[in-house]
Amino acid sequence: MSNLSLILTFSLVLLSLALSYKEKLGLEKDMLIASARAVIQLTLIGFVLKFVFALDNLLFTTIILLLMVYNASTVAAKRGEGIEKATLISFTAILSGLAITLGVLISFRAIPYEPSQVIPISGMVVGNSMVATSLLFKSLLNNFKNKKEEIEVKLCLGAPPKEASINLIRDSIKTAMLPTFDSMKTLGIVQLPGMMTGLILAGIAPETAIKYQIMVAFMLAGAVSVSSFIASYWTYRSFFNKLAQLKEV
Amino acid sequence: MTLMECKDINLIKDNQTILSQISFPIQIGDSIGIMGPSGSGKSSLFRLLNLLISPTHGEVFYRNKNIQEYIPTELRRRVSYILQKPYLFGNTVQENLAYPYQLCKQKPNWKEISSYLTKVNLSTTILEKHNSALSGGEQQRIALIRSLLIKPEIILLDEVTAALDEENTHLIEKLIINEQETHNITLLFVTHNKVQAQRLAKKILYLKNGSIHFFGNAAQYFSLKGEQDE
Repeated sequence: MSNLSLILTFSLVLLSLALSYKEKLGLEKDMLIASARAVIQLTLIGFVLKFVFALDNLLFTTIILLLMVYNASTVAAKRGEGIEKATLISFTAILSGLAITLGVLISFRAIPYEPSQVIPISGMVVGNSMVATSLLFKSLLNNFKNKKEEIEVKLCLGAPPKEASINLIRDSIKTAMLPTFDSMKTLGIVQLPGMMTGLILAGIAPETAIKYQIMVAFMLAGAVSVSSFIASYWTYRSFFNKLAQLKEV
Repeated sequence: MTLMECKDINLIKDNQTILSQISFPIQIGDSIGIMGPSGSGKSSLFRLLNLLISPTHGEVFYRNKNIQEYIPTELRRRVSYILQKPYLFGNTVQENLAYPYQLCKQKPNWKEISSYLTKVNLSTTILEKHNSALSGGEQQRIALIRSLLIKPEIILLDEVTAALDEENTHLIEKLIINEQETHNITLLFVTHNKVQAQRLAKKILYLKNGSIHFFGNAAQYFSLKGEQDE
C-alpha cells in the first residue's frame, strides 16, 4: 500500500465527519482528535517497535512488557474505584495471565522470546486481560452493592466471607470471561480476527495465518481465565474487614 | 449466669448517634423484648450483637470474652440474627435448609429438617418448591428453621412476625417457645406488638433515640406503662 493510498483512505473519516455534521451529532471534534491520535500514536509506536526489534535485548523487551502491563492495570483499576489496591490487584492479575501464557507458548516452542514475536503477542494478551479485569471489577462492585442482603444473611448464618460471596464471585468471573469465549465461538463464522486478517493482507498463506489465530484464541482464553480468577479471589477480600464485616461500597 | 453483656456501647454513623451508653446483661435462657419507636436503634443493636458491625465505643462480651476476639463465623453461629424480611437464597427451599449443614461440611440431616417443618405445620413437599412460590409466612418459617439448624445459643429476631397474619405469628411463636423449652435458647426479639411482648418476654428493653429508657422485668414495665397510659 502506498502512502498516497493511505492518505486517501482518510476520505472515510471525512464521510463520518459529514454524517455527524448533517445529523448534528456534535462528534466532529472527537472524530478529528481520535483520528489524529490514532495516526500519531501508531506512527510513534512504529518507530519504537523498529528500535526495540533492532535492539533485540532480553531485559529491554521485558521492561517494555512490564510497562504494557502497568498501563493496562491503571486503566483496569479505574473501573475498580472503591476497591482497595485495585492497581496492584490488576497488575498482578494481568502479569500472571501474561507470564503463564508466554511461559506456555515459549516452552512449547510456539514462539521464541524475541521482541518481534513477544511484544505483539503480549499486546493482545494484556489488552484482553485488561478488559476482563475491568469487567470483573465493575461486576464485583455492582454485585456487592446490589446483593448485600444475600451476603449478610449468609454471614449471619456463620458463613465465612468467601462462602458468603461465592455466588457473586463466580457470577463476576463469568461476566469477565464470557466476551472472550463468545468471540472464540464466532471465529471464522462472524469475524476474521485482526491478527489473521493482518497476516493474510501481508501475503501470508491463510493456512499459516489460521494456525497463528488458533494459537492466539487459546492463549487469550488462558490469559483471561488466569487474570479473572486471580483478580476476583483477591478483590472479594477487600469488601470485608478483619472481623468479616461487609464494608460500605 | 451472664451469657452476653453490652458495656457502654456508643454507635455513631455519618456523624449521627445511633446508640448511646448502652449497657445491659443477657442471662442464659432470657427472653428479652426490645421495644421502642422506629429509628431508636433496635436493629443496629442486633447487628452489633451479631458482629455485623462494631461499636464506635464500648464492648460486647460473650461468655466474658469480647466478641471481637472470637472467630467471627464461630460467634455468629452462637448468636444468630434473623432479619425482619426473610431472605431465601438460591432457588429452592431445600438449598436453604441444607446450607447450615453445608457450612459445617456435613450431610443434611433430613430427619431433623422434617421434624422442624412439622413443628411449623409445613410438609416436606415444600423442600422441592421454588423460593418465589412461597408465601411471606412460609418464607419466614423457613428462614427461622434455617437459623435454628445452626444450633445457636442466642437468637435475635428482628420483627420477624411484623408482616405476618395471626396464624403464621402463632406458628413462629410456638416454635420459638418450643426451642426455649427444649434447648434453653436465649431469645431477644424486636417487636412493636405489646401483646406479643407480654406473651413472650420475661424482660423488656425500651430504646428511645438510641438510649435505654427502661430495662427490667416485663411485668414491671407493663404495669408502669399502664399507669402512664392512665
